[in-house]
Amino acid sequence: MTLKISPVAPLSRFLGVVACLILLAGCGGSSSTTVTPPPVTSANNAVGVDVDLGPTGYFVNGIFTTVEVCAPGSTTNCTSVPDVLVDTGSSGLRLLSSALGSLSLPSVTDSSRNDVQECVQFISLAYIWGPVAQADIHMAGETASSAAVQIISESPQYNVPLSCLTLGSSGAVDYNTVQALGANGILGVGNYPQDCTECTISGICSSPCTSAANGVPQYYICPSGDCQIASVPATGILSNPVALFSQDNNGVLISLPTVPATGQATASGSLIFGIGTQSNNALGSAQIYATDAYADFTTTYNGTRYSDSFIDSGSNALYFLDAATLGNIDCADAAGFYCPAETLNFTVTNTGANGTTGQVTFSTANADALFKTGFAAFNDLGGDSGTGPSSDYFDFGIPFFYGRNVFVGIAGKTVPNGASAPYGYWAY
Amino acid sequence: MKTMLGVLLILTLGAPPAGAVLGEYESSVSLDQQYMRGEIRVTNAQGYKFHQITSPNGAVVREYVSPEGKVFGIAWKSPFIPNLQQLLGSYSTQVQQAAQSQTRRRGGPFVVRTNDFVFVSGGHMQSFHGLAYVPSLLPQNVSAEVVR
Repeated sequence: MTLKISPVAPLSRFLGVVACLILLAGCGGSSSTTVTPPPVTSANNAVGVDVDLGPTGYFVNGIFTTVEVCAPGSTTNCTSVPDVLVDTGSSGLRLLSSALGSLSLPSVTDSSRNDVQECVQFISLAYIWGPVAQADIHMAGETASSAAVQIISESPQYNVPLSCLTLGSSGAVDYNTVQALGANGILGVGNYPQDCTECTISGICSSPCTSAANGVPQYYICPSGDCQIASVPATGILSNPVALFSQDNNGVLISLPTVPATGQATASGSLIFGIGTQSNNALGSAQIYATDAYADFTTTYNGTRYSDSFIDSGSNALYFLDAATLGNIDCADAAGFYCPAETLNFTVTNTGANGTTGQVTFSTANADALFKTGFAAFNDLGGDSGTGPSSDYFDFGIPFFYGRNVFVGIAGKTVPNGASAPYGYWAY
Repeated sequence: MKTMLGVLLILTLGAPPAGAVLGEYESSVSLDQQYMRGEIRVTNAQGYKFHQITSPNGAVVREYVSPEGKVFGIAWKSPFIPNLQQLLGSYSTQVQQAAQSQTRRRGGPFVVRTNDFVFVSGGHMQSFHGLAYVPSLLPQNVSAEVVR
């Protein structure tokens, strides 16, 4: 199947954010001594994001932005890729080669000049597979120079290795096309500074990941065509692009407007880089919920603690428990979603690893009815996360983001307010 | 609940054994252990026991065994998705079919639920978890909720 994406897909609206003044500590004194502030330039740190049906027209609650990539060091050999999914559940930029047009990016090799490849597993048991290349990533006024990015295509140079295919080679499902992915790529801006499973295993991801071996099916080299799990150089390990920015690099703020309970055709908001670094990304009244080493926190519902809960802009609904446990109803049409006769309201308590607690209220409406609207943005879309009370998490997807400022703090970076969050945090 | 047995470490090289676990006898657990090159610990609980295999690359797999010696459930928590073909054995076909027929309208946990088989794949990148069990193989007075 040949898939072409439209080169004129609409660019996401870039917010015309005016460069802000940095407020210097100690400016409030009445001393007449003149202090010359250090030269500070603040970058335009916001890009527009849109919740719409995406390039394939089937995505609901998909949050997309536009990313510009250039050959390293070039300001002219560049292309702008629209409809890239903003994913706080992963780290690193992955782009479909079909969206890059004629732009050619240098591949990353190991010391024996083998091209570095990456395999990414999804909980849907699908995978994406392709080489790691180097690019300068530009978003608003921010730049991640010589970043490792993954290039995915429907016809990769090497066959996907069996060790990455959890169900074996027959019938494995890939997301290597725009049709399957529903986007032109994934912009991973989560809690981890790097896309390195190895550092998750060792317990903390704040120090640079220099190795990715140890039998983890993630990074590969393919000498003589036979792909094997490999220890790849640091240059081959994808980074959260935000962590590579020279400023505004300690996390992101995702800001989406409220939408009505009946849904809305689309919604537009912003992705703002940095936390507490400029006037447009101050924490304000948001509370910091530190995550554990697995980027999770605890949600308590009806007296039961679900200690592996998380917020994820790459999840398109609120996925929690199951219909039997909740007194909810599974949909007749939309498999896996909830279809209560009347909208159900829930109140849960979230607790961070730093002890912060706070209540969250949300609703689930009838998903079959919501989908009939043809809209893309729903704040009350809920679905089954699997089992009954033994299910160990709530997955707060895009519905959680509407009408909130949601901050994602990167592990190992500066935390505003001096809160203890060695593995990163959420704030809202 | 009492933890029994120490640690057995088996190092095997070469092709993974063509074994299966879910729905099979307890002896098939050792095939998974060999495949994962992991340490195993057995825990006895009321009405069942479970083997916990911990591999050097961070995967933790639990296999739940009934008093009749059959594996009625498995659960995992791992930085990557473990080899489900190996762990699910004959049940992996159902999961394959469901994985191929799912639509991307649902962007969240992957659930397969039939009268005699329940499968859940969830979590997120670098922290995957999931479980599978066969309701008809659950021991008497043991709830499916123990599989986690």
